[in-house]
Amino acid sequence: MLPEGAWITRAPNLRRKMVLLAKVQDEAGHGQYLYHAAETLGATREEMIEALLSGKAKYSNVFNYPTLNWADVAVIGWFVDGAAILNQTMLARCSYGPYSRAMVRISAEESFHMKQGKEMVILYSQGSAKQKEMVQDAIDRWWWPAMMMFGPHDHDSPNTPTLVRWGIKTKTNDELRHTFIEQIAPEVLELGLTLPDPELRFDEEQGRWVHGPIDWDEFWRVIKGDGPCNQERMAARKKAHEDGRWVREALAAYAQKRA
Amino acid sequence: MSDTQLPRYFVFHQSSPGKPHINAGSVHAADPEMALQNGRDVFVRRPDCVSLWVAPAGSVTTLTAEELSGGALSLEANDEKPQTFLVFRKLDHKGSHEHAGEVEARGAEHAVARAREKFGPEEVLVWMVCPEAAVSRSTSDEVEALFGAAKDKKHRDQAYYRTVTLMRQLRSGEKLG
Repeated sequence: MLPEGAWITRAPNLRRKMVLLAKVQDEAGHGQYLYHAAETLGATREEMIEALLSGKAKYSNVFNYPTLNWADVAVIGWFVDGAAILNQTMLARCSYGPYSRAMVRISAEESFHMKQGKEMVILYSQGSAKQKEMVQDAIDRWWWPAMMMFGPHDHDSPNTPTLVRWGIKTKTNDELRHTFIEQIAPEVLELGLTLPDPELRFDEEQGRWVHGPIDWDEFWRVIKGDGPCNQERMAARKKAHEDGRWVREALAAYAQKRA
Repeated sequence: MSDTQLPRYFVFHQSSPGKPHINAGSVHAADPEMALQNGRDVFVRRPDCVSLWVAPAGSVTTLTAEELSGGALSLEANDEKPQTFLVFRKLDHKGSHEHAGEVEARGAEHAVARAREKFGPEEVLVWMVCPEAAVSRSTSDEVEALFGAAKDKKHRDQAYYRTVTLMRQLRSGEKLG
């Protein structure tokens, strides 16, 4: 929401603006579904908002990267929402009812997010030289952050065994990452674009796609707060919370008056 | 007390006339009017809703099959005066509570007892009851205002995007359009 929200006021035309607005509204709603699911485990809304604003609660690392132009909005839709869909459809089969139902609802709504991005990447790739250059540059900046969305390699993921045992994760990080490459890489290449990984190729012998090493130093650095936009994202959330205070106070006062 | 902990309301969603309302989840709101509005914003971004009901979380009572099989609960009428309770049943693990109908009872546990008599084979996983007096409902003349806009927003449907057509055109060397 935050990386793309910056472009709502600068969409190339009204149709794309409406589409982006609808996408961002969905994302806000998805946050609501997940907060509701977390409440069933005993956390209060207040505690969770407090944790988010104080920096105690983590959020997906991919949001700490900047969007430089409209081609980013296109690539984010295809790669980032595409990766999210794989994760969410997997979690929709988990053993915890409230979380599973939230994921089912999210997955149903998320498919247009991916498609609106993919449609734009296709059009950019077949457009002018400048457009092709723009979308290639966006791909070069977003591929690795999207790949990292699936989390550390399985052997480096301390939570995975527990989550698998409890039936929350029904596929591992590496399994999902692999599916992601299989689905997206061939089509990106078909469009005449490249991916910023010289070692990415289909290995005939193994019968599967293989990729180059992921820069986990960058991953941990960004997660710990030292990414390009961490401060900006936190500041935006705090400002939204503060600026909305008068609305919450007015709602409470009105409710009290009518009670 | 911070001001972010507004009261919680369950939201029940009816996708088309004649279908039962289903527990969609919950929202936080200062009052029932806001709860209906927030319920619409959170649960009705896609155009298949004709009615929303909301009820404060505190007014809703749920009892699981396990809790009932123990035999420890008396499920007797209490001192309250009789009132109408809405009854919802969760029938399978994947799904959510669905509206079954109403019972007259004195207290929530008594309502569950009556509900079991009226609606229930033993296969119900969870019973959910709520006094009708605690429920706020969207009205039929609000349907257009609350749910109409979602119908027009075809761009929220993945079928609106031409990715399949564009790839096909690309592969067959046609001009993209």
